[in-house]
Amino acid sequence: MQGIILFALLAFTYLMVIAKRMPALIRGFRYQSLCLFAITFVLALIQREPELYIVSGLLFILKVSLIPYLLRRMIDKIKVSEDLGLFINPQLSLLWALAFTYLSWIFATYLNGANNAILTGTLAIAFFVVFSGIFLMIFRMTALSQIIGLLVMENGLFLLASTVSGGMPFFVEIAIFFDVFVSVLIMGFFVYRINKLFTHIDVNKLSRLRG
Amino acid sequence: MAIFIILGVPVLLAIGALFVRRERLCGIINCFGYFAVLCASVILFKEIVSAGHIRAFFDFIYLDLLSAVFILVISVIAFAAAIYSIGYIRKDVEQRIISERKARFYYLFFNLFCFSIFCVPAMNNLGMLWVAIEMTTLISAFLVGFYNSKESVEAAWKYIIICSVGIIFALLGTILFSYAFSNSGLSKSLNWSDMAPVAHMLDKNILKIAFIFILVGYGTKAGLAPMHTWLPDAHSQAVAPISALLSGVLLKTAIYAILRFGIIIIKSGELAYFAHLMILFGAISLVISSGLILVQKDLKRLLAYSSIEHIGIISIGFGLGSPLAIAGATLHVFNHAVTKSLMFFGAGNIVSAYKKHNMNAIRGVIKALPFTGIAVLLGVFALSGFPPFSIFISEIMIIIAAFTNGSYFIAGLLLATLSAVFGSFIYHFGKILFGNLPKGTVMQKEPLSSKLAFLFLFILICATGIVLIFKNKDLLWLAQRLLQG
Repeated sequence: MQGIILFALLAFTYLMVIAKRMPALIRGFRYQSLCLFAITFVLALIQREPELYIVSGLLFILKVSLIPYLLRRMIDKIKVSEDLGLFINPQLSLLWALAFTYLSWIFATYLNGANNAILTGTLAIAFFVVFSGIFLMIFRMTALSQIIGLLVMENGLFLLASTVSGGMPFFVEIAIFFDVFVSVLIMGFFVYRINKLFTHIDVNKLSRLRG
Repeated sequence: MAIFIILGVPVLLAIGALFVRRERLCGIINCFGYFAVLCASVILFKEIVSAGHIRAFFDFIYLDLLSAVFILVISVIAFAAAIYSIGYIRKDVEQRIISERKARFYYLFFNLFCFSIFCVPAMNNLGMLWVAIEMTTLISAFLVGFYNSKESVEAAWKYIIICSVGIIFALLGTILFSYAFSNSGLSKSLNWSDMAPVAHMLDKNILKIAFIFILVGYGTKAGLAPMHTWLPDAHSQAVAPISALLSGVLLKTAIYAILRFGIIIIKSGELAYFAHLMILFGAISLVISSGLILVQKDLKRLLAYSSIEHIGIISIGFGLGSPLAIAGATLHVFNHAVTKSLMFFGAGNIVSAYKKHNMNAIRGVIKALPFTGIAVLLGVFALSGFPPFSIFISEIMIIIAAFTNGSYFIAGLLLATLSAVFGSFIYHFGKILFGNLPKGTVMQKEPLSSKLAFLFLFILICATGIVLIFKNKDLLWLAQRLLQG
């Protein structure tokens, strides 16, 4: 069961890396978060811990519903083109993603040893999700896609934390959720401002400060 | 309990800023509030020197000497910034740069920012430490983009994105630390006070990898080169009192976070690893910043690069690791915060009088703003390490420690870069302080509050510079205890 969900998560991350337009990227993020929710929920069912139910519920409310909705609304409101400002085209991005997957596998086996295949696999996928988040932040040049890249990295870390150390302590988890939500709100606020002042959200063209 | 005053007062002041209608009154209440915080942190420091460490609030808060030192530094700078803000914000309101309502927003965010900074050294849980540091970024982004110009919004965006990414790496490192902890078969916890005593039982390979992530992550926030790119933008665009807080305190809280993890690394028996990494990043910061200081054209960016240089010195000091070096580095945290705040306040007055950041257009500051001009002149000497000022003492301690450790290369590097920076400072500030006033500038009236802030900081600079020479034994004794937790 968990293997299937993890594979789906991997596939959705690939979809995000090769996405060409903003709505596709947001949809990818929503599905990815849905997979995370499924994993946590299954874990909660197995371990019967009320805290895990709360965490998975929060995941569903914040990352599957609220944040993608806010991002969607932002695109509709600021009415810029939906292009992502690709620095690297989708085919090349796919190659990069493959390389990242292999690298994360090597890193995971270094950390954990090859004795526990499922754990190593999860570790590798978690690192891959973090890497692809960085990739999205660096090679997609709009402010919105940078926010999504950050969220993807955070998703990867959530997966990492829940696999390697059985999750963070409960209140830390809640605080981090709160933190992520607040940061999306604040970054969204700045996206509106950038759009108002510059009439675009292409961060590559923000170059007034130099030296 | 002193710690509850320290954490509670900023929250109360933030709530107060929502209700008090007149911004001037807000500023004055702020001053009294932060004076109380300053007193409380002095009491806290004394308590901890005698008691060792304090736990409070169900182990949620853990304070040892290291946290007490950082809380003291934060409260000094917050008090100075609160005094300076009164006059600075008043002037902005009078000149119609910001509205009265926005001035109240300023005080709201100022207090929230101070609260989040005070949270950092108080947290026991390493996850909460991360949350507190991320909170400082999110809140201060508003204060960086406060003037809502194209430049400031760009700076705020870069600041929030680069620091958030950096800090995500720090979270990765934190998770790996907890992985090492749970791997060793001990109970699940992220509390520093649980982790540090068993550090020798943890898997060293995982700790080493984790520490790299921590250093890169929190190092981004601390402004260590080559992750420093957000720093000059944010510092130059923020409101002047906030620039002082960013440079004087915010960077130091990130250093504090690195040290917290560093102590675990040291206790697990990997002192050399910690030392090499800290010295490496410190040396890169020193070299890069000393080159860039020479070619700066923007006054506040110049000061921002100087912050990178001093963070480099602090990081080298902690990396050297002998009691003398640690004492020097800790003192340097304090001295740099005080001196750099003085300079940013001065730069704030200069920029608001000349309406320009560009140093080629600023001439004759001493004629236009006599008090600020003299304060900045003395500040330049203090910042570039002249005796009898305090930075000289801390820098000489670190250099002596480098020589006695046998790290001649590091000592040489420190001496060379420090003299280069001294030369560029004299060159740049000699031009803007002296010379003829540009046409059309008139003598400005300086607000009383900024004069008071200058005096307060300047007394601290001189006092620490002179008193500490006679107190070096106590200092070494404290330094030995500092990294023991």
